[in-house]
Amino acid sequence: MATVQAQTILRDPQLFYWILFPITVVMILTGVLRHYVTVLMQSDPKKQELNAISEQRNLLRGVNLRTNHNQIPLSSFIARKNYLVAAYNRGDFLKDPENKGKPPANPMTDPAGMDQMMNMLKGNMAMMVPQTLIMGWINAFFSGFVIMKLPFPLTLRFKSMLQSGVATRDLDVRWVSSLSWYFLNLFGLRSIFTFILGNENSADQMAQQMQQMNPAGGNAMFAPGQDPNKMFLAEAENLEVVGGQHEWVLDGVVDRLLKSRV
Amino acid sequence: MNPEEKDLQINPVVPENVIHNTKTIADIRSLTSSIFGIAAGILGLESYSGFIFYLLGSSIVSVLMVIFIAGGKPQNYFRGTSEIWTLEVFSGSSLSSFILTWTLFFGLLRA
Repeated sequence: MATVQAQTILRDPQLFYWILFPITVVMILTGVLRHYVTVLMQSDPKKQELNAISEQRNLLRGVNLRTNHNQIPLSSFIARKNYLVAAYNRGDFLKDPENKGKPPANPMTDPAGMDQMMNMLKGNMAMMVPQTLIMGWINAFFSGFVIMKLPFPLTLRFKSMLQSGVATRDLDVRWVSSLSWYFLNLFGLRSIFTFILGNENSADQMAQQMQQMNPAGGNAMFAPGQDPNKMFLAEAENLEVVGGQHEWVLDGVVDRLLKSRV
Repeated sequence: MNPEEKDLQINPVVPENVIHNTKTIADIRSLTSSIFGIAAGILGLESYSGFIFYLLGSSIVSVLMVIFIAGGKPQNYFRGTSEIWTLEVFSGSSLSSFILTWTLFFGLLRA
């Protein structure tokens, strides 16, 4: 181990300026590029017609009433509940009243669902392609030598992954090749991207990208493969169940306020 | 309705505020973790001492956050008083920023 250490010291400054910094700079730049490409490639949200929007929003109205039913007095709640339950059972808000009994729209054929799947596919492609390219570039140019020493030790199983080009037996696991520097950058640059590009940037990893999809595709509940009529009926049932117990939050509010001020 | 549910109705937990609070902490922690990584690399700290340094630094940052940002009352912003100490300490963004800058500066200055 002493000989390897002596070797590396001799070439130190060149190694770092030619390898570490270029890899980091390239990764930051591709991250920024990927973010802007994703933003530009996303198709605009399609304008939906009035009855489709009304269908979704009225279902949300039922859900909101159910979750916040304690915030309004009993009489208001009962009035709202009766109106909504009657409307759901009659199918007032449905987009196509003739389709009441038919099976739900297939996501492949329904245009709204198709749009969303394309967006997700594009997002995935935008993530995978640069990562694969950069890994290939690093393997082509920067393999076959160890570049630096990790400050912390790892188990032997990481040796094959982190020292990809160098096949020695007793080289300490702390000496790693440039591929491991790529992995370190992959995880560590996420916070820098948050600072440069603001939140919800697309240069981040997949999990956060999936989260970004959810509010944008709020009609995901309705378009791919769900029958709106069944959902309305289920919501009506839920409302009936909830109507059983109602405790108005403002019931003892005067006492509470006086007690807290004492 | 049991007392916890009633308490939750009277003092509801608003999701947007929770997200904003958590994001504030995450931002502060990732920035300070990078700086602690630079410090650890310059000091030449090795495995265990490096991580202990990171934990110490995070607790100092937590104390400062409680004093200056939460105004001494973290329970107004988070569930319970102990959440502000451990939130986002081991998360992806702060720990990996620390390791990244630590490795970089350790390698740059080890020679």
